[in-house]
Amino acid sequence: MSISQKLGGLIRQSGLPEWPEQLKTSLERGLEQRVRLAVTGLSRSGKTVFITALAQHLLQSDQACSLPFFSAAAEGRITGTRDLSPQSHSPFPLQSCLAGLRADPPHWPASTESLSEVRLALRYRRRPGLGRALGEQTTLYIDLIDYPGEWLLDLPMLTLSFEQWCRQQHTLFAASPRTEVAADWMEQQRMMDWLAPASDSQLLTLVEQYRRLLQQLREPPYNLSLLQPGRLLMPGELIDSPLLHLFPIILNWPSQPERADDSSLFARLQRAYTDYQTQVIRPFYQQHFRHFDRQIVLVDCLKTLNSGADCFNDMQQALTTLLHSFQYGRNSLLRRLFSPRINRVLLAATKADHVTANQHHNLDLFMQLMLEAAQREIRFEQVETHCLALSSLRATDAAQARLDGQHISCLRGRRKDTGEEIALFPGEIPTELPRPSDWSSDRFRFVDFAPRSLPAGQLKPEHHIRLDQAIEYLLGDLF
Amino acid sequence: MPDKTQWQRPVELPPDAITPAPSSQTEPRLARDIPLDEAQPLAEESSSQTPTPAQRGQRRRHGWLLLLLVLTGLAIGAELYRLINWSVAIHPLLGGAFAVLTAALLLMIGLEVKHGLKGSRQLRQVESLQDRARQLLQQASHGDSAALLKQLSHGYQDTALSREMQAAIVQLDSSYNDREVIQYLDRHALSQTDQAARRCVQRYSVESGVMVALSPWASFDMLLVAWRNLRMVREIATLYGIAPGLLTQGKLLKQILHNLAFAGASEVAMDAGSALLGSSLTSSLSARAGQGIGAGLFTARTGLTAIKLCRPLPEQDQPKGLLQQIARGIVQKLGGQKGNRNTDSMP
Repeated sequence: MSISQKLGGLIRQSGLPEWPEQLKTSLERGLEQRVRLAVTGLSRSGKTVFITALAQHLLQSDQACSLPFFSAAAEGRITGTRDLSPQSHSPFPLQSCLAGLRADPPHWPASTESLSEVRLALRYRRRPGLGRALGEQTTLYIDLIDYPGEWLLDLPMLTLSFEQWCRQQHTLFAASPRTEVAADWMEQQRMMDWLAPASDSQLLTLVEQYRRLLQQLREPPYNLSLLQPGRLLMPGELIDSPLLHLFPIILNWPSQPERADDSSLFARLQRAYTDYQTQVIRPFYQQHFRHFDRQIVLVDCLKTLNSGADCFNDMQQALTTLLHSFQYGRNSLLRRLFSPRINRVLLAATKADHVTANQHHNLDLFMQLMLEAAQREIRFEQVETHCLALSSLRATDAAQARLDGQHISCLRGRRKDTGEEIALFPGEIPTELPRPSDWSSDRFRFVDFAPRSLPAGQLKPEHHIRLDQAIEYLLGDLF
Repeated sequence: MPDKTQWQRPVELPPDAITPAPSSQTEPRLARDIPLDEAQPLAEESSSQTPTPAQRGQRRRHGWLLLLLVLTGLAIGAELYRLINWSVAIHPLLGGAFAVLTAALLLMIGLEVKHGLKGSRQLRQVESLQDRARQLLQQASHGDSAALLKQLSHGYQDTALSREMQAAIVQLDSSYNDREVIQYLDRHALSQTDQAARRCVQRYSVESGVMVALSPWASFDMLLVAWRNLRMVREIATLYGIAPGLLTQGKLLKQILHNLAFAGASEVAMDAGSALLGSSLTSSLSARAGQGIGAGLFTARTGLTAIKLCRPLPEQDQPKGLLQQIARGIVQKLGGQKGNRNTDSMP
C-alpha cells in the first residue's frame, strides 16, 4: 500500500472530508440562519400532522394569507420558500400526508413507523436596522424530524443501569392498572429462576408476552404512555432483531447477580439492555436529539380526560422524565456554534379544535397542571416557556345550538370512527385535577373527529388554530 | 354533592337544533368564516350608576356654564335684533343685508359647534374603546369582545378606516379569545392608517424643524411651530376618523399637552436619548440647526401623542427609531440646503 493511499485512508477515518460541511452547518447555526426545532410528543399526540401543517403553511408563507400572527409572513417579508427535504436520506412524506388530507373522504396520516426529516428554506427580507448591513435578503433553514413517539421514551433509559431500570419498572408495575393487566406475567416472573441457564425459546416467549402486554396497556381503555422499551412497540428497521430481546426483571430480583451463568436469562437480559443502550438509543439520541435550538412539546390532554386519573398520572410521569433528556439553557455565541441548547420551549395542548373555543383557556390551564414540574425545571435553566392550546389542522366548525331555550356553542364535524356528521358539546375542561368520582361520571365526551378536506391551493387561517402564534413564538425572533 | 352542578354536561345535539354561526352580508358564501363573537348578545354596559361627587361637581360647573352661555346668547340676540331693527329703519335693503349676514354667521357657528360636539363625543368614545381594549388584553376570556367589535364596526362606518377595519373584523377567527381579537385588530385593522399617520408626523416634524432652523426671528419661530402642530393634529384626527373642528382640536390639544407634560420617565429618557443623538449629529452644523432639531422633535412628540389619543385601540408596539429618523431627516435637509457635505445617508 502506498503512502498516499494510507494517508487517504487515515483522512477518511478521521472524518476530515466532512469537515467543510460540518463547519458550514455550525457557522450557519452561529449566525442564526439554521434552526433545529424539536417536535416532541408521545405517540398519537399529533406530531406528524403538526409537521405536515407547519411545513405546508410555511411553504405558503410568501403569500401572507394563512398566518396572521406570524409577523414575518403577515408583514410580507418572506419572499420565497423551498422544501429541501428531498435532499435528506429519509425525507418526510409531506406530499403523501397532504394527499391523504385532501382525499375524499380525507383521513389522518398513518402512524409514523420510522424516522424522517423535513428541511425548509425560507428567504426573507431583514427588518430595517443594523442587520440590513449584512444584506437585505437572507435565508433561514428550518430542520425538523418526525419519528415514532414510542422511541422517545427510550431516551430516559440512557442514564439508567439495568438494575435501576428494573427497579423503576417494578414501582410502575406495582400500581394500578398495570398490576391487574400484568397479573399473569408477574406470576410467571415470580416463579422464574433468573440465574439458571435458559433456552432461546424461553426468552423469546417471555419477550413476546411482554410485547403483547405493552400493546395491551397502550390501547384503550388504559391508554398508558410510559412503556419501555419503546422499540418493542414500534420496532422500525429493527424488526426481529435480537437487540429487542429485552424486558425488565420486576420480581424475584436475584440476590447474588454476580453468580449468574452466561447463558442465564439474567445475564442475557443485562447484555441485551447494554446493547440496546449503545446500539439503539445512543445513536438515535446523538444523531438526532442533541442539537436542538427550539422545542415544542405536544400534549394530548383530551385523551387523559377521557381515560381517567391513571392515564393522567402516567402521561405526566412520562413527559416529566422525557423532558429531562433534553439540554436546556441559554446560548452564548460560542455555545451556539459548538453545542447548542434549547433556549425556548412551547408547551402545546393539541386538538384544541376538539373542544369549543371558550374552553381553550381551560385546556391551556389543564396542560400546565400536567406539566407543572417539568416546566419548573425548564424555567430554572432560565429558558422561556409558553403554553398554548392549538390545533394544527382544524377538524371541526364552530356552531351554535338552541337547547332548552339556551344558546350553547358546540362543534360540528365528522366522527373519525363512523364518518357520520355530528354536533357535540363535549363538556367543560376542568382547571383542576378532577376527583375520582368525577372521572367515572359522564363529565366529558371528547370524540375523535375526522379531518376536514384541505384545499389543493392556498391554506387559510381557518385551517388551523393558533399555529401561527406557535410559529411566531418559536421562530419569530429569527426573522 | 354540592359542586356537582359546577360544570356543564356534554351533550350530543340533534341536527335540527343547530343554527350555523350567522353570516354577514359582506361574504355570504363563506358562512363558516364568520366569527361567533359577532352573533353573541351585546353585553349591556351598566349606565344607571349613581353619580360620584366628582361627576356631581362637574355637572354643577356645567350648569353655571350653561347659564352664562344662555345669558350671553340672549344679550347678543337682543343686540342683533336692535341692530337689524335700526338698519331696517334706515333702509330696508341695508336691513336685508344685515339679516343675511347675521343668518350666515349663526349658521357657521352652529355648524362649528355641531362638528365640535361630534368630535369631542368621538374622542370620548375612543378613550372608552381604548380602556375596554386594555382590559380585554389582560384576560383570556371568550366572547367579551363582541360589544367592542360592534362599537368599532358601527362607530367607524363612514370613515376612512372603515374598509380595512371591516375586512379585519370579518376575518376574525371564531377560536380567538378576547386578547387575540384585540391583538389581531391592532395588527391588521389599522396598519394602513398607522402608516399614513406616521408619515404625516414625520413630514410635519422635518418641515417645522427646517423652518425653525432657517427662520431669522425667534418669536416668529414659535408661531410657526404652533401653527404647524395644529395643522398636523387636525390631519391626524381626520385620518383616524374624528370629525375635525376648532372645538375638537382645542380639546385634543389640551389632552396632548397634558400627556406631554406628564409623560412617563421612560419616555422622557427615550426622547432625551434621541435629542442627544440629534446634538451629536448637529455638532458639525450650527446652534440654529440644534434649535431646529429641538422643534422638530417636539412636533414629532406631539404627533405621536396625537396618534396615541386618536387611535381606537391602544398602541402595543411603539414605533422604534421614528424620532431618530426625524432628527436625521432634519439634518439631512439642512445639510442639503446649506450645501454642506452630507455624512449620514437616510435609511
